[in-house]
Amino acid sequence: MDNLTDLPNSDGFFGDYGGKFVPETLMHALKELDETYAKLKNNPKFIEEIDQDLVQFVGRPSPLYFAKRLTDHYSGPQIWLKREDLNHTGAHKINNTVGQILLAKAMGKKRIIAETGAGQHGVATATVAARLGLECHIYMGAADVKRQSLNVYRIKLLGAQVHAVDSGTATLKDALNEAMRDWVTNIEDTYYIIGSVTGPHPYPMIVRDFNAIVGRELRKQSKEQFKQYPHAIVACVGGGSNAMGIFYPFLEESNVALIGVEAAGSGLMSGKHAAPLNDGEPGILHGAKSYLMQDKNGQVVDTHSISAGLDYPGVGPEHSNLKDSGRAKYIAVDDEEVLSSFHLVTKLEGIMPALETAHAFAALEHIAKNYKSNQHLVINVSGRGDKDINTVATMDGISLD
Amino acid sequence: MEYLLTRLDDRILSLNKVKKKALVAYLVAGDPSLDSTLELMHGFVNAGVDILEVGVPFTDPIAEGPIIQAAHDRALKNNTSLSDIFKLVEKFREKDTKTPIILMGYMNTFLANSQALQKAHTSGTDAVLIVDLPGEIDLEELGIKNKNLASISLIAPTTSEERISQICNKSSGFIYYVTLRGVTGSSHLDISEAEENINYIKLQTLLPVFAGFGIKTPDDAFNLSKISDGIVIGSSLVEMIHQQSSKKEFKKIYNYLHEISEAINR
Repeated sequence: MDNLTDLPNSDGFFGDYGGKFVPETLMHALKELDETYAKLKNNPKFIEEIDQDLVQFVGRPSPLYFAKRLTDHYSGPQIWLKREDLNHTGAHKINNTVGQILLAKAMGKKRIIAETGAGQHGVATATVAARLGLECHIYMGAADVKRQSLNVYRIKLLGAQVHAVDSGTATLKDALNEAMRDWVTNIEDTYYIIGSVTGPHPYPMIVRDFNAIVGRELRKQSKEQFKQYPHAIVACVGGGSNAMGIFYPFLEESNVALIGVEAAGSGLMSGKHAAPLNDGEPGILHGAKSYLMQDKNGQVVDTHSISAGLDYPGVGPEHSNLKDSGRAKYIAVDDEEVLSSFHLVTKLEGIMPALETAHAFAALEHIAKNYKSNQHLVINVSGRGDKDINTVATMDGISLD
Repeated sequence: MEYLLTRLDDRILSLNKVKKKALVAYLVAGDPSLDSTLELMHGFVNAGVDILEVGVPFTDPIAEGPIIQAAHDRALKNNTSLSDIFKLVEKFREKDTKTPIILMGYMNTFLANSQALQKAHTSGTDAVLIVDLPGEIDLEELGIKNKNLASISLIAPTTSEERISQICNKSSGFIYYVTLRGVTGSSHLDISEAEENINYIKLQTLLPVFAGFGIKTPDDAFNLSKISDGIVIGSSLVEMIHQQSSKKEFKKIYNYLHEISEAINR
């Protein structure tokens, strides 16, 4: 078997998953992107430019923080938090956009497009586009525009245009469809910044690589702060970019358990969820083969999650390969567990996680008991929860008007 | 067995013999209903359509503009499945054994049913056009090839010369040239670029080259027919079908197709 770290292969496959299943018009642009990235990724000047942005603009490295009261609460492992919520714009998403905007610049593209679910990727994209003075269009499902209104306004303040997408289920997958249609139409001058480790090759690889800074920092910080690598790393998985970013530098460390947490929505048994790795079948959506929530006819089914960022029927192809190979484990937690975890972490640690991130915390209820007090477990705090206050209030039956 | 594959080739050859351009017409199966689709297919042929392209509805048709997307949604609301479409083709074949049928759709609906292409073939389908399957990938690699079905590939204005020759080598039936950068039904038709590209493609292959995407008026059709071997018309038909869906008065559509058919052989 190939070394997991060496994937994808040159056709963009992670084992059986990935590839480039797109309309012909896009094939040339993908090749161009692949070649540009191959040329630049080891270029010292390019690396230096990204590193400088990550330090001075994003605020990296993000701290590794010991969550004492959470650790006491569970009486399991020592729980550490990788604080991506402290990044500029409030989530891990900026790691990727800072990198991709430099690819866009290198390719001479003048117009930036992106899809967004929770709005974090939309904000992160509008932010880097504003900084370079590039025209920016963000596609967002109409349902998400409503539940993430704060981020919609942020995106507008940053000078980008928000396009509410009414088609299909009016959520993240439909925003992706519409962004792809824009890209097909404006292929010559437009760069599409995909926000997760999804989509056709080379996106899953590029987005992973730009997020892998998180895992690389953790390698260093864990050695410094607790003298060894973690016994387990836990991250939420929608498309899977924060998880892939923190998992990737540990793929070859077989003693480090990698645990992804999907959105079980109203419960896996209810069918109303967004957990393709737990309850989906391999299929092709948005340019890649991967686990997918679909019916027996190959139609993509509606998803449900309290968290707009995880409300997606697919998942990055690399995660599908990690699942099949057994290198990572994927579990799912439901909306109720997530909400109570959100409150618990907020009260115990003074950290208000995004609802996406709260899925990773909710996993502790299931897995903390498997670890001893001399073991170390790291949770990737992928984003902060300010954007979710309205949703949480509604779920709790409180009116903020 | 070989008969079915040559139905498409036969049609192309016989058009060629009388120096006629091919008219390919697209509609979405199950929009507004499978019964209407069957009626429309026969009606299209009577109005001068040479090849039928039947859209297989998918929840996430990324190459389609708003008109065809909405038709996919309507067909899915009617629960139109691939098996229903095979039955539709079988019924069509009871009255028409000559007109070639191409199923146009997206990879996932075909992948979900490992017998899909086998069943497509036995139902009387002649070719598939899978929009999100790159032309150089063989269906065999995905485990669903059927040697009796032609696989139609798209070539776009952005396709490199290297890929054009790869795609031509793997294609059968005809080459479908996408006349614009955009989704179906857009309006950025650039005739001179299309002419240059089609001429280049024809140097690489003996297969006929049909042009599609963005053809709306008889004049568009006329202009493109001068530089290609045939044209594909889709969104404008789908829109007309939708407008007539409550009354099911399709005569206007047949008149329109007749006009297009005359225009391309003017």
